[in-house]
Amino acid sequence: MIELRKVTKRYGRTEALKGVSLTAPDGCVLGLLGVNGAGKTTMLNLMTGYLPPTAGQVLVDGTDMLANPRFCKRRIGYLPEQPPLYDEMTVTAYLTFVSRLREVKAASIPGHVRDILGLCGLEEVADRPLGKLSKGYRQRAGIAQALCGDPSTLIFDEPTVGLDPRQVVEIRRLIRTLGQTHTVIFSSHLLAEVSQLCTRAAILHEGRLVWEDDLTAQRADGHIDLRVVIAGRESEVSRALRDAPGFRSLKALPAPAPGLAEYTLSLDEAPGEPLPQERLFRLLAARDLPLIRLEPEPTGLEDIFLRVTQREGGNA
Amino acid sequence: MTAIWRKELQAYFFTPVAYVFMGVFLLLASLFFYLLILAQRSSDLLTFLRYMSYLWMLLSPVLTMRLMAEERQKRTDQLLMTSPVSVTGIVLGKYLAALTVLLATVLLTLVYVAVVARYGAAYPGELLTGYLGFILQGCAFVAIDLLVSALVRSPIVAATAAFGVNFALWMMDLATLFAPEWLSGILRFVSLYSRNEPFLMGQLSWAGVFYDLSVIAAALLTAVWAQDRRRRA
Repeated sequence: MIELRKVTKRYGRTEALKGVSLTAPDGCVLGLLGVNGAGKTTMLNLMTGYLPPTAGQVLVDGTDMLANPRFCKRRIGYLPEQPPLYDEMTVTAYLTFVSRLREVKAASIPGHVRDILGLCGLEEVADRPLGKLSKGYRQRAGIAQALCGDPSTLIFDEPTVGLDPRQVVEIRRLIRTLGQTHTVIFSSHLLAEVSQLCTRAAILHEGRLVWEDDLTAQRADGHIDLRVVIAGRESEVSRALRDAPGFRSLKALPAPAPGLAEYTLSLDEAPGEPLPQERLFRLLAARDLPLIRLEPEPTGLEDIFLRVTQREGGNA
Repeated sequence: MTAIWRKELQAYFFTPVAYVFMGVFLLLASLFFYLLILAQRSSDLLTFLRYMSYLWMLLSPVLTMRLMAEERQKRTDQLLMTSPVSVTGIVLGKYLAALTVLLATVLLTLVYVAVVARYGAAYPGELLTGYLGFILQGCAFVAIDLLVSALVRSPIVAATAAFGVNFALWMMDLATLFAPEWLSGILRFVSLYSRNEPFLMGQLSWAGVFYDLSVIAAALLTAVWAQDRRRRA
């Protein structure tokens, strides 16, 4: 498990991350979204111990990265945006070197490297120099090096950027396979990629974490989030909303005008029943609470991304 | 650290770097050997060592130029820095790999000693101290040039800058001849060449040994600090 606690990172006067707290629980596939310059790479560099935070803590399985970097780094495999490859080395020699670097016992290195070559589909290029491989194979070699030493967490920075469509599909398939046995954290600016591959997603904007949620729960759950503006006394309105059929949760928003109340409301969608909006409308009408506005809250990742990045005053 | 040492050693011998270094070193050493020993019918190996020691200044940047700068240029430093090896381990591994090539080259120069011992007179005591100073001086140059490589991003810049620094160190030694008394005293105190003089006269100078080791330690610690500092900036 990786945890960021109020992490801030400054480069000179520029604050790349501003007090970010985030947890990647064991077994999750976490997608980190954000526009260019949002702070995604900085966050990954902090998680891997490549950069130290200016303030705050990075914890790996409960251990502080700065206090015990060796313990933490053994548990993390990292593929930076540009795969860190030595062009003159063959794929096998390179993975052997990285395995030694990651303290794999000498006797088990050949078997370990063979397993990784198989998992990443690199057997046929095992004896070729890295400098002579295609971009797709180089990316696979980059992922393979992250697997050396059998870390429990894999961190990939924009793993599919610059690849052709076929290579993108192959790398996504590999990430999906790895996600079954590892905690995977990767950054992307492709919303569809994160929707497809991840169990959790987080959105960074201008160095701040502006949204984070469990995507599997969102996908599986039969509910709708609504934003409503209703005329009436706040206590009366909130009581009526709590009585709505299929009521789940309610969150009050600042009143848009005197005499009006605004809420976000979560209601269950029951098969065979009228739409939650219709049931809500009838309930409010029965209680003489005029419904001024009713609209579904965007739940697709794309809508969420646009909403949270615009709300934060971004230019996305 | 061992993994880094092995990898760097392989890199030296899988690319022309080690062969260029050893080849040029031995070529120039052979020229000195011919001019100073064979042509003169002399057994003065200490003078031969004095001339060979100038080759460190010239060739040490060849060994060190890629060590740190290329990792930054190709961004492979991200692999090293996110591995369980400490920055000190990385710097030491690289330094020891360069020293291995340097010592292998020194070992090959024993051929010249063997020739003199066979056909002339070689004195083991003075030769041992002469070689000790010669090796320590080489180690100090490699440490200084590794530091230069840690400070820049391109191997070519690292080589050029390292040669500039080495040349300045040599010029500093020459400047002792012209500088005012107080300044030449300081220059002589810090000069790697002046410090090597006792060894070249067959004397074991503990001050010289301590000085060379201090220069090595200071250069390597500064290289570690520079790597760390860059990440914190």
